[in-house]
Amino acid sequence: MFVIIALAMPELNDIKRMLSEQGYITDDTVAMSVFLSLQLNKPLLVEGPAGVGKTEIAKVMARALDTDLIRLQCYEGLDATHALYEWNYQRQLLHIKMTEHNAQSADEKEKTIFSDSFLMKRPLLQAITHHQRPVLLIDEIDRSDEEFESFLLEVLSDWQITIPETGTIRATHIPQVILTGNRTRELSEALRRRCLYLYIDYPGFEKEWLIVKNKVPGIDAKLAEQVARFMQQLRIMKLEKTPGLSETLDWAMALSSLHIDHLDKDIIEQTLGVVLKDWRDTRDVQQSLGELMEKTGVISKFDKA
Amino acid sequence: MIRRQTSLSANIVQFCRFLRQQGFAAGIEEEALILQALLYIDHTDLAAFRLALKTILCRNKKQAEGFDLLFNEYWKQVGKAVDAKLKDGPAREKKSIARPAQFKALKAWLHGNRNNETEETAIYSTQENLSHKDFSSIPDEDVDELMQTIKALSKRLAAKTKRRYQFTQKINLPDLRQTLRKNLRRGGELLELAYRKPKQNRVKLVLLCDVSKSMELYTVFFIQFMYAFQQVYGKIETFTFSTTLKRVTPYLKEKNFHDALRLLGTENNNWEGGTRIGESLDSFVRDYSKKMLDSKTIVIILSDGWDIGDLEILKTNMELIRARSKKIVWLNPLTGFASYRPEVAGMQTAMPFIDVFAPAHNVESLRRVGKWL
Repeated sequence: MFVIIALAMPELNDIKRMLSEQGYITDDTVAMSVFLSLQLNKPLLVEGPAGVGKTEIAKVMARALDTDLIRLQCYEGLDATHALYEWNYQRQLLHIKMTEHNAQSADEKEKTIFSDSFLMKRPLLQAITHHQRPVLLIDEIDRSDEEFESFLLEVLSDWQITIPETGTIRATHIPQVILTGNRTRELSEALRRRCLYLYIDYPGFEKEWLIVKNKVPGIDAKLAEQVARFMQQLRIMKLEKTPGLSETLDWAMALSSLHIDHLDKDIIEQTLGVVLKDWRDTRDVQQSLGELMEKTGVISKFDKA
Repeated sequence: MIRRQTSLSANIVQFCRFLRQQGFAAGIEEEALILQALLYIDHTDLAAFRLALKTILCRNKKQAEGFDLLFNEYWKQVGKAVDAKLKDGPAREKKSIARPAQFKALKAWLHGNRNNETEETAIYSTQENLSHKDFSSIPDEDVDELMQTIKALSKRLAAKTKRRYQFTQKINLPDLRQTLRKNLRRGGELLELAYRKPKQNRVKLVLLCDVSKSMELYTVFFIQFMYAFQQVYGKIETFTFSTTLKRVTPYLKEKNFHDALRLLGTENNNWEGGTRIGESLDSFVRDYSKKMLDSKTIVIILSDGWDIGDLEILKTNMELIRARSKKIVWLNPLTGFASYRPEVAGMQTAMPFIDVFAPAHNVESLRRVGKWL
């Protein structure tokens, strides 16, 4: 049994290759987590600051496995009806209206309106009734309420959903689950125990540089390096909202499309809004821009030129 | 005691036992999972082996960060251990932490050293007295009873608050009146349904409790009191501060309050000491305010306002908190004394930003706090 599954499953090196082919620059920790989560059939809980590519892992995984990605975005007040299913009331009402003068018995009518075509599938139900094994991304799980978290635990362990009107639906394929969170709320120990854990931090300089070069085609090599260095310095500062990798990429993309090949003070000031999203941060950074540029080595090059 | 094991599985079991001592939740399930995982990875590759174990055994950021060190430590110790038959080393001495007498008495009580007989007979005779007595003047033997009173009171008040929102579980109830109204234009054909949603208690609480020497006792009682409201308010965040700020919400979420309070006592190095309210609020604003404060949050500060820190910092941060929250409530035990005037410099600075200024020095005052919550 195991052997058969193992053969169908990608090896650790395959995962690494797939990840890099999909343009996801990473280290061994991520590859190992993804690999084990696939092999052991366990949900993977990914935590880390905003904008370091947590959600991206799920997308890459779906592409690598050549399957569909079903996404459930969590928010405060999310409840079972939004996650599981809902009856299409309007359609049911119309149907009753249309068949008002039919000879059908009440029982038959009831059966029709509580059938599959009147059921609106929400992500969780969608995931377990999918025609192939999908990747189910439960995004920002820490934003949901604790009630929802415990409800989720139940679904994640049983893989079946009971609809009172029609009966229990069992999973045709158990989805590959990825949960993400950025620690707005501590998750329960019970949920943690069911998952494998991965923490992704802000990338180091080398990695960030590599990502910028890879993700922004046609970027000037020197600019990529300067951007990466500048971001590294920026993250050391005490900011209200520390910029993540996605901000780096946005910035690099913006600079590149402006055909800029190196950073200087004016350019940084003009484009700072791409990186910093808080007015206090912007003010602080503008004040210490000279120092920042010196540290990143931007100013010296500029002077020589 | 770590011994040399000859088989890989024995080593994994031993490693998990080692991690359990370090606070990891590495149970049988995890051990089985590791062995299962080893089917798929090359265990002679040390780096891969370590990563696999890390993925399976870690549960949070802190563990993930400390794992590599522990892993190396374990294998180093295994390397040192020569033979499985070696004698166990001397039992590790437990660190004893000295605490002042008052806290000791409280802790003794927390550990279940109680006298039921006197408790039952005493309740009626002294309850009225106790509820008006200042916490600090209550003799040690009455602490037990006082805790009971506070517990009962907080439960009752919490239940009352909860009843107002008891429909929160039922969602998506059709609203008949609205539905008819909406569909009147269609001649009464019910096409569009309207739903009723229960009113939800969206108010969040943030508690900032002073645990300096002058405040410790009040804080213990206050936290005990607020603990009951944890179920009513979806979100209560609790912080303690003296010179530095510490988030204690996770400890209070433990089911057993006794354990939680004991943890508070032992975990918190800054328990008792000087007070730097400004600096503590500053780190609260910096690290947590974005996530925890919004226009529906009531911030409750429990402190006597004796501050040895920078007043300017206190002022800016009070202003910031005020701007981002619904209300600031300052509970000051000293207000309970008739002769008290808020003349302490810290108090003076904070005063303009406070919406409610109330005492919290005895059971009666806690009752009043609970009523408007």
